[in-house]
Amino acid sequence: MSIYLVSSEEIKALALDLQKTHEVYGPQLKPPGGQVFFDLLAAGEVPDLDAAIPSMPVKEILFPQMERILKYRYDPEAQQVEIEKQYAEKPKVLFGLRPCDLNGILCLDRFFLGQEFVDDVYLVHRRQSILISNTCSAPWDQCLCVCTHSGPAAEEGFDLDLTRLDDGYLVQVGSAKGQAIADAQGWQPAGEEHLAAKKAVIERSIASFPELAKDNKAWISRAMNRMTTGFIKHEIWEYIGNQCLECGACAFVCPTCSCFNIEDAQQCGGDCERLRTRDSCSFEGYARMAGDHNPRKPVEDRRNKRFFCKLSYSQSKKYLRPGCVGCGRCQWVCPGDIGLPNVVQYIRRETSA
Amino acid sequence: MSYQACVCNLCGTGCGQFLKTDGRKVLGVAPVIAHPVSKGKLCVRGWHANELLNSNERITTPLIREDGAWRTASYAEAIELLVRRMGEFDGPAGEIGVLASARSSNEDLFALRRLVDEVFHTHVVGVGAEAGHRNSMACISHAFGYPGAVGSLTAIDKADYILVVGSDITRQNPIIGGNIHYAARRGARVVTMCSSRTQIAKLSTKHFQQKPGTKGLLLNALAKALHALRTVNNTRRVDVGKLPGYARYIDALRSISSVALEAASGIRYEEIEAEAERLDRAKSVVILFSSGISGLDQWTIQAITNLAVLTDKMDDENSALIPVAGISNLQGSFDMGLSGEFGNSVFRRLAEPQSPLRALFVVDHDDGIIRDRERIEALDFVAYCGAFRNPFMELADVVFPLTAFNEADGTYTASDRRVQLTRKNTANANDCLPGWALYQAIAGQAARSRPVAVPAGRPWGYRDAAEVFADIARSIPGYHELSHAQLAKGFGQHWDVGAFANAGRKRFHEVRIDYPTPPTSDEFPFALMVGKAQHFWHQNNLMRKTLIPRREYDQTLLLYPQGYVEISPEDANRLKVKDKWLVRVTSSTGTSMHIAVKISADVQTGTAYIPYFIKNMISDFLIHYDNAFAAGEESIIPVRIEEKE
Repeated sequence: MSIYLVSSEEIKALALDLQKTHEVYGPQLKPPGGQVFFDLLAAGEVPDLDAAIPSMPVKEILFPQMERILKYRYDPEAQQVEIEKQYAEKPKVLFGLRPCDLNGILCLDRFFLGQEFVDDVYLVHRRQSILISNTCSAPWDQCLCVCTHSGPAAEEGFDLDLTRLDDGYLVQVGSAKGQAIADAQGWQPAGEEHLAAKKAVIERSIASFPELAKDNKAWISRAMNRMTTGFIKHEIWEYIGNQCLECGACAFVCPTCSCFNIEDAQQCGGDCERLRTRDSCSFEGYARMAGDHNPRKPVEDRRNKRFFCKLSYSQSKKYLRPGCVGCGRCQWVCPGDIGLPNVVQYIRRETSA
Repeated sequence: MSYQACVCNLCGTGCGQFLKTDGRKVLGVAPVIAHPVSKGKLCVRGWHANELLNSNERITTPLIREDGAWRTASYAEAIELLVRRMGEFDGPAGEIGVLASARSSNEDLFALRRLVDEVFHTHVVGVGAEAGHRNSMACISHAFGYPGAVGSLTAIDKADYILVVGSDITRQNPIIGGNIHYAARRGARVVTMCSSRTQIAKLSTKHFQQKPGTKGLLLNALAKALHALRTVNNTRRVDVGKLPGYARYIDALRSISSVALEAASGIRYEEIEAEAERLDRAKSVVILFSSGISGLDQWTIQAITNLAVLTDKMDDENSALIPVAGISNLQGSFDMGLSGEFGNSVFRRLAEPQSPLRALFVVDHDDGIIRDRERIEALDFVAYCGAFRNPFMELADVVFPLTAFNEADGTYTASDRRVQLTRKNTANANDCLPGWALYQAIAGQAARSRPVAVPAGRPWGYRDAAEVFADIARSIPGYHELSHAQLAKGFGQHWDVGAFANAGRKRFHEVRIDYPTPPTSDEFPFALMVGKAQHFWHQNNLMRKTLIPRREYDQTLLLYPQGYVEISPEDANRLKVKDKWLVRVTSSTGTSMHIAVKISADVQTGTAYIPYFIKNMISDFLIHYDNAFAAGEESIIPVRIEEKE
């Protein structure tokens, strides 16, 4: 695939150009505290490609926390139902995706689109979207993508991939859609030396993990082995379960968590609105079955389920990669301090004991 | 940018929350990572605020009851009706009661207080969760000279020693519970005193699982051990010895008998002595207890404040004494003067058959259980204001809609006196007025219909919430340095305790040493207490307007459709019952109910817990039991549990 060397100005021009035809989303800083969100850019705004990893995963755009799917009205006399679809296709550009979030989208694609049943709501969000990734030249405190094979640079799934070099951005094309954009922009081709420079950026980024990714205690391959073979003592799960406050945050911020709930909310006048909301395996009601049976009633069994989903080989076969993309957000938001990196540590500590 | 920062409006922690909104609807929630207390965390309630705010069960227009049915009305018509009807009652004689909401903003509460004083002229006011917090404020005020938390919730992050008295804090205020857990993980000593094995008890370094009703005794015993230790080591604090009430306090402590202590509480004095050594070694101490309807009784809170003063560590910047509120602005409602005075409680007036109460003005009554319902039904006139539809509406003659917390500017005062500003980030779909504007309109109508004496220099005429707040800063002690402009800059500011003349002058309460004998008997051998559960926060109807938390709520009730009583495995064995089997629970006051058994290793043998969201627990048991609301968390009802015949 083609490679180009593009200036910062040209990148901005690209973002503005795309805004003419697409909804363009990208990293932005929000005061107070300068928290980063990957959100819709206002007209004339450009993505902040130097911003830290967004505080919420990009899945918010493709699989929002709460989504109105349809409205319906049943006329009991005529025995007729009117159904009105509440989602519509809007071409989107996700501009400046961190590789972890890009990998998260690939996992969601496999869940929502890659199985027997194709999820139409997700498909409508995703079908016309353009993914532009951005190599991380250095990790943040909680990053662990080097352990989950999802960073610091994207390897697949993007339409365009950006890497900041000393003299501009190296743009790599990853798809025909991306090539069409590049052709329209008329960028300067890049050379082998720029690929070498990108390699150096990645190597420097990886080398700085021990120093910069301070919260990262995860070394997950051993934990994955233990998880898959089931050699983790129940007491470890109890220890982890005792610390779970059952808030659901880990699933809400996880780029790969795809569980949802459907609820029909009654409106005034007989209208009904079908809502899709994110769900979490940490909730007791999540696994409850008819007849009051709950295979995962104790909290430790529910926690066990989550980490099995993120770390076991059998689950990885489904995603063709580990279910964890190493963004470390679960560590940020967990009031019980049992984000995935800590859990990996507990599992390893037991194996080393 | 569709993310707008605000303060979570559910419990009294005051967590930072972003709402994702398109200006018309709330689309999602995100935590505020830089927030000094919540630090990027939210609990199950905060994470689902978007679901609540999307509820279809909103009050959208003023309503007037006509021939038993509702009809919509204009603000002008409804306000005219309210003012005319309220004019029929004698406020000073106690005919009008006002029940404010601890979820209202300070601006709304302040304007309501003015309405109470200047238009309704009544002293019968209160908030839903009044009893406990008034006790907490009176006790802290006596001990530290101001009615508010000592120190900040952020002290948890640095303190050496954290004491949690009672409170199932990881469920009631999960983010505070989480911060305590983080503190334990960094090496702070976390001590929980609780008769059941709560989650925070399991996460603590030390859990004193005393017998029910003996927390105060245990706290006093800890104080005795601390004093004795310092006496032996010759490290008694000279300054503490000079404080008012010291001699009587120490005398009372000396009278504690270790034998009687152990018999009453089940805790050995040696264990307490060992704890006192650790407490003495700590540089900074944080003490937390729950305040509000399910809070502690006066004697226990006095034992807490006395212990805090005796440690002589409360002036350390990492020390704190926090009455943890279950509702977002309980502290603010007290600060704005809505909690009422002792003896003038709305609930007390409702409970007294001969009280002169004839009319009630109620805001946001989100409790699932309406106390004194029959009396309220028999009142001449009831007005209700709220953002969400609610069973209380059925009792009202006129209803006013209010904005939800994200639909108007407003400040909220968290448990640790941190005043924070939430900006309007979503339009109210029906152009409803925020509380302060509604009360102002009512006052305006009252002035037109009958001349009202407005105190000199206190005109109404607020154009926005910031102007109401400017008035708050002028008249409410502690708020004098605050303004909306300033609060908008960061994550709020604690109100200034220096506004109280006695701030810093510490005093001891007189303590009462008694050895509670269990109210249980051979006939009623179980001590029944009010249990708690995460999704049922305050029997609160708000959670029933969400999707996921409501499912969790329902899921428990599906497992135990008749509700459940938690008992220990030993008791279950003895009664020969299994999980989900029905039993009959009979109380010493003669009430009884059929309920399922839930077997839990976390409760002590001889104790039983029924969560408060089970309606009969309150209506059939607690209310019939003397003084149950005053005793709060310490309420114990002797019951008999039998296999259902």
